[in-house]
Amino acid sequence: MILLQSHSRYLLQILSNRVQNVEKGVELDSNWVEFGDIRYHIQASMKNPHLLLLSVSLPTPPPETVFFGGLPLGAIEAVKAAYGLVVQILDPPRDGFNLTVKLNLTKLPPDEENKNNLLVKIASLREVVMGAPLRVMLKHLASRTVAPDIDRLVALVHRPTESFFLAPRAEKVTVVFPMRFKDSIDTALATSFLQEFVEARRTAGLFNAPPCSWSPSPPLELKGAPVEALSANAGFVSFVLFPRHVEGNKLDKTVWNLSTFHAYVNYHVKCSEGFMHTRMRRRVESLIQALDRAKPDKEKAKKTGQSRSFKRLSLKEARSGLKS
Amino acid sequence: MDPATSRPAAVIDNGTGYTKMGFAGNVEPCFILPTVVAVNDSFVNQTRSSSKGSNWLAQHSAGVMADLDFFIGDEGLSRSKSNSTYTLTHPIRNGQVDNWDAMERFWQQCIFNYLRCDPEDHYFLLTESPLTPPESREYTGEIMFETFNVPGLYIAVQPVLALAAGYTTSKCEMTGVVVDIGDGATHVVPVADGYVIGSSIKSIPIAGKDVTLFIQQLMRERGEHVPPEDSFEVARKVKETYCYTCSDIVKEYNKHDKEPAKYIKQYRGIKPKTGAPYSCDVGYERFLGPEVFFNPEIYSNDFAMPLPAVIDKCIQSAPIDTRRALYKNIVLSGASTMFKDFNRRLQRDLKKIVDARVLASDARLGGELKSQPVEVNVVSHPIQRYAVWFGGSVLASTPEFFAACHTKAEYEEYGASICRTNPVFKDLLVEVVDRSS
Repeated sequence: MILLQSHSRYLLQILSNRVQNVEKGVELDSNWVEFGDIRYHIQASMKNPHLLLLSVSLPTPPPETVFFGGLPLGAIEAVKAAYGLVVQILDPPRDGFNLTVKLNLTKLPPDEENKNNLLVKIASLREVVMGAPLRVMLKHLASRTVAPDIDRLVALVHRPTESFFLAPRAEKVTVVFPMRFKDSIDTALATSFLQEFVEARRTAGLFNAPPCSWSPSPPLELKGAPVEALSANAGFVSFVLFPRHVEGNKLDKTVWNLSTFHAYVNYHVKCSEGFMHTRMRRRVESLIQALDRAKPDKEKAKKTGQSRSFKRLSLKEARSGLKS
Repeated sequence: MDPATSRPAAVIDNGTGYTKMGFAGNVEPCFILPTVVAVNDSFVNQTRSSSKGSNWLAQHSAGVMADLDFFIGDEGLSRSKSNSTYTLTHPIRNGQVDNWDAMERFWQQCIFNYLRCDPEDHYFLLTESPLTPPESREYTGEIMFETFNVPGLYIAVQPVLALAAGYTTSKCEMTGVVVDIGDGATHVVPVADGYVIGSSIKSIPIAGKDVTLFIQQLMRERGEHVPPEDSFEVARKVKETYCYTCSDIVKEYNKHDKEPAKYIKQYRGIKPKTGAPYSCDVGYERFLGPEVFFNPEIYSNDFAMPLPAVIDKCIQSAPIDTRRALYKNIVLSGASTMFKDFNRRLQRDLKKIVDARVLASDARLGGELKSQPVEVNVVSHPIQRYAVWFGGSVLASTPEFFAACHTKAEYEEYGASICRTNPVFKDLLVEVVDRSS
């Protein structure tokens, strides 16, 4: 697995199980958390087996981002547009969550393929809600316009109390990620990972990909951003998106990849740590083998003779020991 | 306060056959997957054989890419079947982690691809079999803290969790015998007041996999037309869908012979190579499969002690003041105890052994003293299949759990050796009992 999938595997599993055995209609109540501190809760009752209540809570937004009623800009419209009749937004949301929707399984499209596509789409609720403002902005880019009131730096939340920044222009959008890691080893690995990442972008096969750069200090685009957003221990990554990157069906993928970029880097940092540990284990094993080979047989024989953990004193020695 | 304690802990129960994982506080695990990893090692071998080649850098990066190119669980099974570049490895054998590289990869996918959580955000509860050496606990701690940077880790003993799972469903004491029959290992573990009586643990070399192997053997000997490369999988499916425990083999044979239409089932499958459908009969193996626990001599030559006798021996070797309580609370756990009427058969056979002993001692005493009858009770509950996971979920949702965990700071201060002991589960269990009573 190289990229994170946009749908929640567990949610999709619940939904498709439910759709297949709607008549059985077992009681369901479960909580789970995804990366970036997105919490889910799903509930269903025996009485109405085709109704499901799905709640989502989003990470705590930092002060610089704009939230309306606990949701990112345009999230409600995005949910309505993406799901239509199947999903109904409940107001107020469940206690402790930002959004609660009621899923009506009887309103799913009848044919198998559309149904499955819609279920996958519902399982990617997170992408729809969290990516809504980003999507709006990238749509403007695709039509080469700039929304009149947001021609400045825009902050979007992607992790608890952390955000990334967008600088929209008519021809391009610059996205800047301040990268922060808790652990010092992670920070070092992430830094070199990002440098390699930028390097890899320059290879011939990827000349269509968005240009990308990394710098240890805040780039010029972040002028005017709040001070606390300008400290990042693994530097700043910026991508420049052109209209060709957000045309047609590319938009969904771009939105998802940008809004989970930190999780992506984090995943690969953990993978490379795992990779290094594998190598270290292998190395230790080979060294131990080498040591075992180096042991002369004579010493082995001697060792078994002296394997007692204490030295036995002779009577004489013991007496002299007592006296002194 | 650590924000991770406000999130539910991740509970992963790695069994030999299946891994159960999910979040604490839920009733069911999110995923139940076969514990297998399908690794693409074609690149790795190439790199080794010609590491002096001119484009070693390309090969090196290919090797690094191959490091991410693996699948776990059902996905891994289907990949390895359809594509010869993937080889299947089983990271756990007989309840012990065998291949740490594969285990690390398995956990990586569990966390990032299935649970999709950030390991830095959650405390983790992992499980181990009662016979795991402390070194392997250290390894587990090392991987969890160094690779995944988990904020806290607790490694629980499986039978204790299985006992804990029973508490919320019925009110009973802290003492009991856990009969844990998994895919790769069977343990009979007496627990007194939340402490495992280590010296009395009995292991049986017969587990779920052996039932499958036995069914495979029976079907092969009868000459059913099952494609040989698929026969193990077919046997497993037969075991999971059709097997049940009988009360008496001879009677059961007669029943089958009288009414074959009622008892003999049909299994239908599709040949993996040609795609042609086939069907085969499922007959005596329906009850003979689970019978290996009660009459092991029909399957193996070197182990002939039936499960009820092992349980009896185990309880007899426990401290004398715990025995009555142990007989009273025999808890089943693991997917291979799910055969229909397994608990009844076990209870009947065990009761027979115990009653015989009581009678013998009464006779020896010559009627002067009458001993009290011993109550034998085999508890079975609906969540048996993932009782261990459920127990973990219950434990990890108590606030005391976070205090009992080894934290990352402690790990960094003292090193991996702190993972050797996970000392406080007794307090945890007492807490649970207080809550449920």
